[in-house]
Parts: sequence; C-alpha cells; structure tokens
Amino acid sequence: MLVAPGAVVAGVFRRVMVSAILVTLPLAIAVGLVSVFTRPGATVLFALGPFDATLEGADFAARVVLRLVVMASALALFGLTTPVRALIADLERRGVSPRPAFALGAVVGAVPALAARARDVRDAQRARGLDTEGTVLRRLAAVVPLAGPIVLGAIHQVEARSLALEARAFGRPGRRHLLWAPPDTGSQRLARWLLLAGLAAVLAGSMTGFLPRLP
Amino acid sequence: MALELRSVSYRYPVYRRLALDGVNLRVDDGEIVGLAGPNQAGKSTVCLVACGLAPASIGGELTGEVLVDGVSVRGLAIHELAGRVGIVFANPASQLSAIGGSVFEEVALGPVNLGLPVDESVARTRAAITALGIEELAERRPDRLSGGQMQLVAIASMLAMRPRTLVLDEPVAELDPDGRRLVGEALRSLARAGTALLIAEHDRELLASLGARVVAIDAGRLPVPA
Amino acid sequence: MIRCEGLVHAYPDGTRALDGLDLSIERGERVAIVGRNGSGKSTLVRHWNGLLRPTAGRVLIDGVPTEGRRVAELARVVGLTFQDPDRQLFARTCRAEVAFGARNVGLRGRALETAVAAALDGVGLAGRAAANPYDLGPSKRRLLTLACVLAMRTPIVVLDEPTMGLDTLEIARVSAVVASLATEGRTVVAISHDARFVASSFDRVVPLDAGRVVEDGPPG
Repeated sequence: MLVAPGAVVAGVFRRVMVSAILVTLPLAIAVGLVSVFTRPGATVLFALGPFDATLEGADFAARVVLRLVVMASALALFGLTTPVRALIADLERRGVSPRPAFALGAVVGAVPALAARARDVRDAQRARGLDTEGTVLRRLAAVVPLAGPIVLGAIHQVEARSLALEARAFGRPGRRHLLWAPPDTGSQRLARWLLLAGLAAVLAGSMTGFLPRLP
Repeated sequence: MALELRSVSYRYPVYRRLALDGVNLRVDDGEIVGLAGPNQAGKSTVCLVACGLAPASIGGELTGEVLVDGVSVRGLAIHELAGRVGIVFANPASQLSAIGGSVFEEVALGPVNLGLPVDESVARTRAAITALGIEELAERRPDRLSGGQMQLVAIASMLAMRPRTLVLDEPVAELDPDGRRLVGEALRSLARAGTALLIAEHDRELLASLGARVVAIDAGRLPVPA
Repeated sequence: MIRCEGLVHAYPDGTRALDGLDLSIERGERVAIVGRNGSGKSTLVRHWNGLLRPTAGRVLIDGVPTEGRRVAELARVVGLTFQDPDRQLFARTCRAEVAFGARNVGLRGRALETAVAAALDGVGLAGRAAANPYDLGPSKRRLLTLACVLAMRTPIVVLDEPTMGLDTLEIARVSAVVASLATEGRTVVAISHDARFVASSFDRVVPLDAGRVVEDGPPG
C-alpha cells in the first residue's frame, strides 16, 4: 500500500514492479500450483487428474503471492532509490561497520557490469560460430561457453578491484571521518516516525482484534 | 632511500617455482626507475612485493627484505602498509571503488580510510587533484571518464595518501594514444615534483621521456645474470 | 571482399557510432584501422560478422549483403578476435579452446587436428596445448585467442588490439602471423593503437573519427 506510491514518487515504479515480479515469479508459480491443488477446500473449480483445484486453494495462493510481491517490491524500491554511499555513511554514523553494506552495494552495482560482460561473452562466442539461435539442444550446448567466461572473468575483476581497494586502506579497523553524510531533513524524520507509529498501530490493532487478523 | 628490495625471493601461493629469485632493486628519493623485461619475467610481481600486497594480501612466501623509507615492512598488515607506497595497475576501471559519487570523493577515499580528520582528508585530496591537473574533473562521475582520465584518478587516489613512492604496473598498456599522452604528462610532472616512481612498462619511449633509469628483469632475476 | 556503403549505426538515443561510412577492402589486403576510443572502430568491425546490423546503408561480404545472414554463418567467412581475451576463454585446455571455433565452422577429424596444431604452433603455444588457459599469463591468453581464430581458417581475419600488453617477442609473433596470413591470400584487418606494429605489418591505414573514414592510405 505504501510501496506503490513511494515507487511512483521516486520515479522508479516500473523498474520496481518489474524486478519484484521477476524475482517472485518462480516462487509464485511453485506456491500457486501447490496451494491451488492441495489445500483442503470445499469448492472445486476444476479437476486435473487426481488433483482438484479448489477456490480456497486459489484464494490462499493469491494472498501468498501478493505478500511475496509486496516484500520483493519493498526491497526493490529500497535498492533502487538508496545510493550505496548513503547507506554506508548512515550505517557508519550509527556505529555499524560499513563493510557488509559495501559488499551488498558492490554486488548490486555489479549487476549492470555483469550484464554488459554477459553481452560481450555472448558476442565473442557467437563470433566463434556458437549458434545461439538454433534448436533447444544447440542452446543447451551453449551454456558452458557462455557461463564460463562470465563467471571466471567476473571473479578476476573482483580480485583486481579488491587489491586496489586494500591498497587504499579499505578494511582498516577504527573510526573514519566521512566527508559526506546523507541529508536527514525534518520532513524525512517526521515521515520515519509516522511510518513507525503507523506500524505499531496496525500491530496493536490486529492483536486486539480491532483489525482483521494479519495473514 | 625511498624503496629497496634486498635479495627478495617470492613464491605465489600454490605455485612451486619462484616468481622472484634474489631480486635487488633500489629507488632513491625522487628517482624514476623503469622496469623492463619480457612478459612473465616478474615485473608485476615486483610491483606487488614493492607495495606490500604480496604477501600481506595475496599470501605466498617472501624471503629477503623490503624497505620503504628505510624501514622494513615485513609482517605489517595491509592497512598498515596502505599509504606508504602507492600502486597503480594497468586496467583503469577496476581501480575505481564504484562507491565514490564524484572524482573528489573517489580520491578522498584513501585518506578517509586512513582515519584522518575531515580537513586533513580534504586538503590531501585537493593537493592530489591539483598535482594531477584534474581539477575540472573533480565533480564528474568516475565511471563516465575516458580510460586516460580514469587512470589519472587512480593515480590521484594513491597520491592522496602521501606515499613517497609510486609503483605503476604497465600504467598505459590499455590506453589509446590520447590516454598515453595524458598519463605520460602527469607522470612527468609528478617526477619533477619529487615523487619516486617505479614503472613496469614495455613502452620504452615513455620511460625515455621520463628520463628513467631502466633496469631489466628476466625469469625472476634482477639484475639479470650476465 | 569487405564493402561498406553509407554505413550508419545509431544508438536508441540517436547518437551515431557510424555516420555514413564508406569503405572497400580487397582480398589479400593488410589493413589497420586506427582512431581514438569512441571513433567507431569496434562498432564497424562488428558489422562484418553480423553481431551488429546497420541502421542505414549496407555491408557486403564477398559481394553478398550481410542482411538476413546469421552470425554463425558469417563467422565462417569473417573471424574476429576481441579486445578482452578473458571474455571468451572457457575450456579446460588450450587445445580444446582452439578446437571450439574450428569445430563450430565445420572442421572435423584429421582436418580439425591439423588446424588446431598449426594454429597453436603459429602463436608459439604448441608446448602449452594441454595447459589450462588461466595458467598462462594474460599476454599468452591474448595469443591463444589469436590461435582460436586462426584455426577457423576464415578467408577474412579481423583482430581487435592484437598486441595490447604484449612484449617485443610476442609482438613479433603476431607480425609473423599477419604476414603468413597475407601470403596465404587471406584478408587481414586489425584495430590497433600500436604505431610501430601498424607501420611494420600493414600496407594500408584507415583512420576513423566520429564514425567516418578520415583519410585512407599507406602508413605515414
């Protein structure tokens, strides 16, 4: 409910929804299939062999999938709108080590580079006659020549980068005096408090029975 | 004596043969030394040993002494080594941290990591950027620069930690002629300003234009046995 | 052999990597393409094996337009090496790596073995045939990718920065390979920043700037 408007405001709505849906799709399919066919229920929609697809099952599946999509899109919104340096700076200010954030940021930041690398690998192998447009069997055979250089080369690049970073004292224990802190305006602080208060209210409401039980 | 390798032998982890075998190398304060030799002779290994990444970061066995500013660096942890000797590699893009929003922040990363107070970090960053002549790039995004410009940022990033010696492993090998010119000019002005440089390079013209004293390495040996 | 007529390649945002480029390369020529990064060199050569398609204009290989021809098919005529060797090496041994391309273009049995052995020998890696490519240094891996394209025995051979990071001996090897390809009647095109290599091994230099040919002629 909050994620969607947030994403619209940040201008990344489409990207958030696309990544959220892509990420949850395999899980959603699996959960959906299992729930629809195996959850106990009275109203049978249709039958497939020994399995009955029930309305209750479909209802359950729909709610689970919706929850998954919401979680995934919240994460995606966070990932797409938070610059890594803001995360690192903020964590450090609060006394938390920045290294996990950097590691995460490096992984996320590596995605476009990895995609570019994958394209280059595909081009290079096609130039050597690898058929990526043929039959399914042909394309299966193409997996190793495509995956190999992507993975190996990516590892190489990570090694090179970490050497250079170590030479710049990255990972040195002790406090750092950062040049830049992410801006924390009055309205941002207010929004944080409101969100937390809202969450507390919802939890209290569902526990006292005032609101329908949270799934 | 800015940098000295005394009878240094080094073996990479897992490999059995010695990558360096009794290497003797001296770089005086403010001197420019070129390291020439065929590929696989040990040029890159000398660079890694000189800045301490070998063995402190990548492991392996080192015998002999590595002295920076007259002091042995044996046994020091990597973060204790940082800033004593700067190192620049051939590939410009892989030396960027990818978390610096601007060239200024990228160059400042070293001093900040050293735990320096803010005004000191800023002062050192400004000085390094001026020394490399990249003031007009200060607000640009590092990943949008040309190869030569990225390499200047990489050099500035090391320089900001105020090492007396800079070690460069084929700094212009992956650059186009424009980039080579840019980096060559920057190295010339660094040399004039008194930084000691150890440059592993095939490009003899670059070494000559820097007035470098060229030493040759072959099969891990320096000097090469007659 | 290779003909570009009014070749235009534009990105989705409208910028033109190639801006109406005309070029003609005859069979057996040794041509070097030079120009600063961003002048369109890599974009140009990728049109010759179909990896990129023209936005406007056309490309003819051996008199036949590339339109409608698949990359796998054009790869039998135009062999292309890439600037970063590590973006294509995947096999466990050098021999298997070199055989990959050769097999893809249809070589089998004795012909395949001979082509692989000759290619490895040509780049001086005959003794490392059973070694893992990643046990060789980066410069030898670059020579290995050269062997990979040699074994494919294509009439046209295109090399992207074949001497980057190579020492004097290794560069001499590449020059020798270019020379022997020329004596076999093959067409050799190289993208290179190495002025000395270009002057010694090629008889024609095609400079590119902003997606067009500037002035065509023998090495100055």
